[in-house]
Amino acid sequence: MKKLFYCVYKEYKVLVRDKAALAVTFLMPMALVFIVTIIQDSTFKSVNETSVPLLLVDKDKDSLSFKLESALVQTRFFEVIKIDISEEQTQTLVAEGKFLIAVIVPKEASKQLREKAKARISKLFPDMDSAKKAEETAAVELKLFFDPITKQSFKVSISGAIDRIVSAIEMESMINTLGEELKTILSTTISPKFEKEPLVIVQQEYAGRDQTTIVPNSVQHNVPAWTMFAMFFICIPLAGNIIREREDGSAFRLLTVPGSYLNVILGKIFLYLLVNLIQFILMVCVGIYLLPLLCLPKLDIGNNYITLLCIAISSGLAATGFGLLIGTIANSQDQASLFGAVSVVILAALGGVWIPTFVMPEAMRSISSISPLNWGLEAFYGVFLRGLGIGAIFIHLLKLIIFFLVCVAGSFYYQTYKRIR
Amino acid sequence: MVEIKGVTKQYKNTERPAINNLTLSIPAKSIFGFLGPNGAGKTTLISMLCGLFKPSAGEIFINGNNISVNLRAAKQIIGVVPQEIALYARLTAYENLLFLGQMYGIETNELKKRITENLQIFGLEKNAHQQIRTFSSGMKRRVNLIAGLLHKPQLLILDEPTVGVDVQSKTAIINHLKNMNRERGTTIFYTSHHLDEAEEFCSHIAVVDEGKLITEGKTADLIRNNNCNTVEEVYLKITGSKFRDY
Repeated sequence: MKKLFYCVYKEYKVLVRDKAALAVTFLMPMALVFIVTIIQDSTFKSVNETSVPLLLVDKDKDSLSFKLESALVQTRFFEVIKIDISEEQTQTLVAEGKFLIAVIVPKEASKQLREKAKARISKLFPDMDSAKKAEETAAVELKLFFDPITKQSFKVSISGAIDRIVSAIEMESMINTLGEELKTILSTTISPKFEKEPLVIVQQEYAGRDQTTIVPNSVQHNVPAWTMFAMFFICIPLAGNIIREREDGSAFRLLTVPGSYLNVILGKIFLYLLVNLIQFILMVCVGIYLLPLLCLPKLDIGNNYITLLCIAISSGLAATGFGLLIGTIANSQDQASLFGAVSVVILAALGGVWIPTFVMPEAMRSISSISPLNWGLEAFYGVFLRGLGIGAIFIHLLKLIIFFLVCVAGSFYYQTYKRIR
Repeated sequence: MVEIKGVTKQYKNTERPAINNLTLSIPAKSIFGFLGPNGAGKTTLISMLCGLFKPSAGEIFINGNNISVNLRAAKQIIGVVPQEIALYARLTAYENLLFLGQMYGIETNELKKRITENLQIFGLEKNAHQQIRTFSSGMKRRVNLIAGLLHKPQLLILDEPTVGVDVQSKTAIINHLKNMNRERGTTIFYTSHHLDEAEEFCSHIAVVDEGKLITEGKTADLIRNNNCNTVEEVYLKITGSKFRDY
């Protein structure tokens, strides 16, 4: 036990005096969280929140366009900008990416709608004099322009929202016309009132177990994602440390000391696991205290701290195991740095660090589940977003620990049967 | 002290064995020079003596213990000074020695005393708390040597301990090793390409070439029996002048 302590202390001294390794270990992931969170914030907002800029070109300037504008604003999904320009100019603005979507309400659209409503209603009462006069006119045509980069799913949801608004206006217009017709037929002064409240309400909730709703946003995704990345990136200094010891003969000397080398390896695992935990705490602090200073959402870690610690330890073990394996197999520091960096970037991309798995195609989503970074990230999501306990995320922790054991066993095998021939 | 009996080491995917049926006896309290050209198998034998590599055939006994059976007992009495500067560049000389001594299980107060003594002997007391990366080659070599001596080994294995050092450092190293051998009876197994140094330092010499033992004996006997004046003459006479590492 004493020897293990000496090994940990030695590793600590070596690490704290290596400023470059410290920067890679602590500053790089913090910088990444800052930069990527800021960059991705608007993307997450477009997925999760409101304020899609919408250009409304009002040629009608009557009840239809006024009601449409008011309804669009009320949804809080659109930021309505009104400009009086031609159809060609509208198309150009959207094509240039100035607006994601534009709606053109044509001239006399309200009048046309009223006439069309009257014609429809008059068909309900064919014997009436007024009905004889009303003739069916062409349908009112609202034009929607979408930016070509708009995703199909986004286009469908926006078209759906506008369709619903237009249907409501259409319905209101029909009811009003019907009211007027009834007044004429029944010679009454009672006007029918159009009730806007929907008959069927669709209630939406996030399926968190503790009934809380934590909306996924750039911070909730990026802090755990880049924490996992930083944890695994530790494989580079750790592998470098192992190779340096082998190259400078220290490993040779330590292998000649009775019963010491296991302590040396355990010392490395213990120290780098500790570094991983410090990274985790630092990244969480960045999410809670620093990101809100940049007008970004505050990281909500829920209150399941023990589970979070278990995830951090399991992820840290997986990361140190990976570093140990690279350090054992690689023949030089260059090889370890290159392989370590590339493999972590690939595992991160697969695991949903760069782009969340929920926006990946189905095939990639299946592949992403082979990445240990994905296991850790899913476990963090479980706690941060779904409020799950340790039981529900245990499978991810188990995978991480098995990965650690496989890496350690692989290192041991390689060291014993390949390197020491 | 060390009995090497019919040891062969064949690496995978190589045509000839690095060590070929080597039988050698290293007497206790001797300074044994193990000489040979590059690729002769010197480092392979050192690795096997330390238990890092297992022989493909044959047995090695250290103080009567077969190291394939009881490596731990053998490791307790061995001190190794590798050819590389096997120290942590970002630790100070004192921290390096403290860590390595602790790994041998030396009691802390006794260890600190030994470190201070050795640093004084090798003229490094003023540099004790400087990081190794700031040291000259000679200073690094001296600390490298101290690291192998702290646990007072009965058998000290030195792989080219004076390579790349100035005359002053070389003299200090050799003199200290001689004192250890004389005063404590430490057996020294030594490899070097400095044949004049070997002649002056070693009581016994063995010459190996291409994994095979060519000759061995007491240094003076070896020179006399080969009708030569120096170890270097003997060496060239029996190994020839052909390059080995082409």
